[in-house]
Amino acid sequence: MRRVEHVMGFPVSLRIDGEGFDDTVADRLFAWLREVDARFSPFREDSEVRRLDRGELDPGRLSPGLTEVLALCERYRAATGGAFDVRLPGRGLDPCAVVKGWSVQKGAELLRAAGARRFCLNAGGDVVTAGGPWRVGVRHPEHAGRLCTVAHLTDRAVATSARYERGDHILDGRTGRPATGLLSLTVVAPTLTEADAVATAAFALGREGFAWAAARPGCEVFAVTADRRVRRTDGFPVAGSGQVAA
Amino acid sequence: MKRALPVLVLTVAGLIPLWRYTPAAPTRAAADPAPAPTVSTTPGSTVRVVAGPTVDTEKGPVRVEVTLDGDRITTVRMLQQPDHPQTTAAVPVLIEETLEAQSADIDTVSGATVTSDGYRESLQAALDAQGS
Repeated sequence: MRRVEHVMGFPVSLRIDGEGFDDTVADRLFAWLREVDARFSPFREDSEVRRLDRGELDPGRLSPGLTEVLALCERYRAATGGAFDVRLPGRGLDPCAVVKGWSVQKGAELLRAAGARRFCLNAGGDVVTAGGPWRVGVRHPEHAGRLCTVAHLTDRAVATSARYERGDHILDGRTGRPATGLLSLTVVAPTLTEADAVATAAFALGREGFAWAAARPGCEVFAVTADRRVRRTDGFPVAGSGQVAA
Repeated sequence: MKRALPVLVLTVAGLIPLWRYTPAAPTRAAADPAPAPTVSTTPGSTVRVVAGPTVDTEKGPVRVEVTLDGDRITTVRMLQQPDHPQTTAAVPVLIEETLEAQSADIDTVSGATVTSDGYRESLQAALDAQGS
């Protein structure tokens, strides 16, 4: 079965292979993603994130979900020496970069719990796979209709950070200025929680972000530098032309 | 993690053709020997990057670079490593290639598709349309 919906500001595409999966499985997934949007969006005045930011919530008594998200944010802030920061001076609390990967990973776990063993869940370009191998193209940083590589994924997740049509939306928390040095950076990891946060954090780090992400356990990295060179880890699951399995 | 072992086997099996495939002039970013320790700092920051001297071990020469925030080590990176199976397996080998635009038979696309216009034009839209 397939379903596409627009949630959290981006299109979410679901494909489940196999018999016995009807709309109720997809309904549960999209209900969860809409709940996440209502609770954690920095663009909704009544969200938990906005209420915490305005001092209306007791930081010691937050919901388990928000506590988990903020702990993840702090872990990646510390790991990047402050380049990845969801609390930039002069800006409201914005945990979007962590919420997306975390919530879509949880959504994938809902699908597994419902018995799905072979699926591909793509949330605005960040992908969780189950079973496989799935052939995941990585969007070219400069040509929207082209790819810069194809990865073969089985039971792994992949996230790509790049400027694309959003422009300079990732800031280096150490300087407060847009991150430069990379055109795009793609991370393959066991979970989308890790892949998405590491891709964003590494992009914020700029040129040094590649080595930082490559050193994280379980992460494989493919980066395009500002001078249009590709750097990737040896273990990045590239499906080269002519080597694509049938 | 009952699936871990078969997944690992599949992954390794998938990589065998890649090992046998030699890309045009691969360069090892890791091999960058320099004799003396070097230190670089960013003004107004407590972050320092320190490259150590090349040290000879029984497996071959080793050189590391350490990033410190104050007195805390935040990153350790291999600048040079022995060409020995035990060490090459542990440290990620970095590969440099030329950027090539390509199209291929794929299931999905990684890379943000934020706006509706961007999405409509994107490959993912084509794939979704194809499957419905």
